[in-house]
Amino acid sequence: MNEKIINFTRQLGHPFAEFILTLGSIIRLLIDIILNLPFALKNIFLIIKGIHFCGVKSIVIIAVSGWFVGMVLGLQGYNTLNRFGSISVLGSVVALTLLRELGPVLTAILFAARAGSGITAELGLMKATEQLDAMSVMAVNPIRRLIVPKFIAGIISVPLLTALFIVAGILGGYFVGVIILHLDSGTFWSQMRDSVNLHDDVYNGLFKSFIFGISVTLISVYQGFMAKPTAEGVSVATTKTVVVSALTVLALDYVLTALMF
Amino acid sequence: MQNFVVSLKNVSFSYDDTRMILKNISINIPKGKRIAIMGGSGSGKTTLLRLITGQCQPQTGTVHVFNQNLSRLPNRKILNLRKRIGVLFQFGALFTDMSVYENVAFSIKEHTNLPESIIQKIVAMKLKAVGLFGTQDMATNELSGGMARRVALARATALDPELMLYDEPFTGLDPISLNVISMLIKKLNDALEQTSIIITHDFATTLKIVDYVYVMANGEIIAFGTPLAVLNSQEPAVKQFVKGEVTGPFNYEFQTKMSYNAYLGIDHNE
Repeated sequence: MNEKIINFTRQLGHPFAEFILTLGSIIRLLIDIILNLPFALKNIFLIIKGIHFCGVKSIVIIAVSGWFVGMVLGLQGYNTLNRFGSISVLGSVVALTLLRELGPVLTAILFAARAGSGITAELGLMKATEQLDAMSVMAVNPIRRLIVPKFIAGIISVPLLTALFIVAGILGGYFVGVIILHLDSGTFWSQMRDSVNLHDDVYNGLFKSFIFGISVTLISVYQGFMAKPTAEGVSVATTKTVVVSALTVLALDYVLTALMF
Repeated sequence: MQNFVVSLKNVSFSYDDTRMILKNISINIPKGKRIAIMGGSGSGKTTLLRLITGQCQPQTGTVHVFNQNLSRLPNRKILNLRKRIGVLFQFGALFTDMSVYENVAFSIKEHTNLPESIIQKIVAMKLKAVGLFGTQDMATNELSGGMARRVALARATALDPELMLYDEPFTGLDPISLNVISMLIKKLNDALEQTSIIITHDFATTLKIVDYVYVMANGEIIAFGTPLAVLNSQEPAVKQFVKGEVTGPFNYEFQTKMSYNAYLGIDHNE
């Protein structure tokens, strides 16, 4: 009976202990990254290459997603506001929703699925094929050479992609509200201009996306770096990147929203 | 210890405290010699290599490389020490996102401030030495297994290391590639006056090019000497390894505490 109780207690405590260990490892990696930032900045080419991989190659998916999200917002907003005779504020609704919430959150989740999983898979495969070991025995610190440039590229790319998502979303909303549903174009833009505050809405939204960029990129490089060096290990790490990033972004979004607005 | 490039004294190592990978190993490797560390799969050879490069630390004993005790060196100094060591990995471990040129030039670019024009000439010389001049612009996935191993050899020797470590360099090669690699190891070792440690289980090829052989089994050194002495050893375990016999002191079956008959529910008393 005693043994059963001990085993039960162990089973209860194991996930918690694992969580604390993982959190500790992530924080250690983050400290390592910060300590190596000045060295990595010397090799700008690697950062540009990283921005090309995770930023430039994500432009299409981000712009198209933003456009469709904006169209849906325009359509749903129009139908709902119409019931209250307030369709004139459609521009404000679309812009504020995108700037404050949907832009940063959806961009970060899409970034995790498109670029974050790619970063994890690349690092995991490098580990499985001894490339990380090779780099290490060649007296090159893999964190400085591989991880830090990808990290910097990620935190530069996510806010820029968020801005793109928001612009595409507003244009999508404009297309549905003004072009299709014949709302007055001047009303759409003037209402938006009146209700959007540069500091409260634009800066806060971009700050959120900056924090999400750090989180998603950190999770991606951590999962790749810690992946088991097998085909299954890489696959599991890639899945974890997307799932953990999405949950982290949603949880952080609540915390940041509560603090900011 | 003065004349030894690598010196391991009473080294024991285990990854998880449940099974000892290396048990009380002592090896001294003099400057300029080619040494083979041989043994079957799982005998602890690659772990030994990881200890020499400072990727692992022994639980007991000391590892000295270039007269420096690795367990007392901070990471930064271990990284500096590695600049004097070249490693050829089992399957090359070439960087797959780089061309052949970028692979060979990698450590030169990382550790020197040489202009690109000089790096190009060094890379060309290194590739010529392994018979692959002209492949600079090729991607790594365009290379055959033997070619990839030779590019990796050119990369490992790019900074003219004083100590070369070869991790199973002959595995998975056709007979021609195998002889080419063994010839190159000998040629480069002589030309650069390197000390070489070859981790392998290919007896026939290795004995032609090395000065001394250590034979390992179950994490222990079971024989040491010149290739001829090891070849003629009367020690049963060494004889079994040299001749590749199935039966002998080394059982191919996994050693387990589980009883096979009990597992199947077979009772011999019935």
